[in-house]
Amino acid sequence: MNEICYPSLRGKKILVTGATSGIGKGISLELLKQGSQVIGIGRNNSNIKNDLLSNSNFIFIQLDLTKLEEIEKVLIDCVDIHGKLDGVVNCAGRQETIPLTIYNYHKIKSLYDINVFAGIEILRIFSKKKISNNNSSVIFISSVMAELGEPGLIGYCSSKAAILGVVNSASLELAKRKIRVNAISPGIVMTQMVENLFIKISQDNIDSIKDMHPLGIGQVEYITPSLLFLLSNQSLWITGQNIKVDGGYSVQ
Amino acid sequence: MKKQDFIKELSEELELETVVTIASSIKDLDEWDSMGAMILIAYVSDTFDVTLDADDIESITTFNSLIERIGEEKFLE
Repeated sequence: MNEICYPSLRGKKILVTGATSGIGKGISLELLKQGSQVIGIGRNNSNIKNDLLSNSNFIFIQLDLTKLEEIEKVLIDCVDIHGKLDGVVNCAGRQETIPLTIYNYHKIKSLYDINVFAGIEILRIFSKKKISNNNSSVIFISSVMAELGEPGLIGYCSSKAAILGVVNSASLELAKRKIRVNAISPGIVMTQMVENLFIKISQDNIDSIKDMHPLGIGQVEYITPSLLFLLSNQSLWITGQNIKVDGGYSVQ
Repeated sequence: MKKQDFIKELSEELELETVVTIASSIKDLDEWDSMGAMILIAYVSDTFDVTLDADDIESITTFNSLIERIGEEKFLE
């Protein structure tokens, strides 16, 4: 997508977590094409040297979001320098396959720190008037797995389901300021996260996962158009929703 | 906690855009609504370990009446 599809996104300041890879990197690049200013959070910037970092509208913040107590100061400092935010895309997240019998409290909490608690903390700070403009848009990346199950995915499925609860309640709390909160639930999208999963499982398993997507396995560029739409003014009456973008995975 | 610090902190929690005093009416604030009541209850609970119920919210008028409900003895002045 090279053309400007959403003029309302020009000049908007959008915070993207997980901006250095996968869907986060994809939406950052698309937002820059729309003329938005992107504030990208990531643990390291080695993956984005050639594309994102060379764009003057991209601001990189190095932060490990599992250090939850550091988020508030970083965001306040960022807004002091660059101005109030108009949107957030929460992409940072982790997938892990761990069977229940060895899934102790500490392991599952560490997954929730990044998949759930970091997003809630960002939303809490974002909801303050001094941090965000009215009419902003917040998107959480959930997953079709939020409403489905797979062996070994108790942590991942439940954490993605938790996000849907956050979206429902937050959309009501923030409606007064016309801030919209929605979730996008992708099917399996070929990102580094999924490649890391695929190297651990057999080719038969990989083929059967691919076969479960009637329209084929996902690509980042299949997800980003719906994110742009939800960030833009074209979706100003949509809030509290979970939109599945999964190539038909979840209808079966 | 001093009463003026309490009013300042609560004003920040409620994101008030006007300056209020101890005599200001809470329910006449532009920002006062059901979410404001929820924020007030949670803030008072966290700060003073005092649980306000619906009757309390109904009967509170000014910041001073809120302080009286929480308990004057919990404030420094």
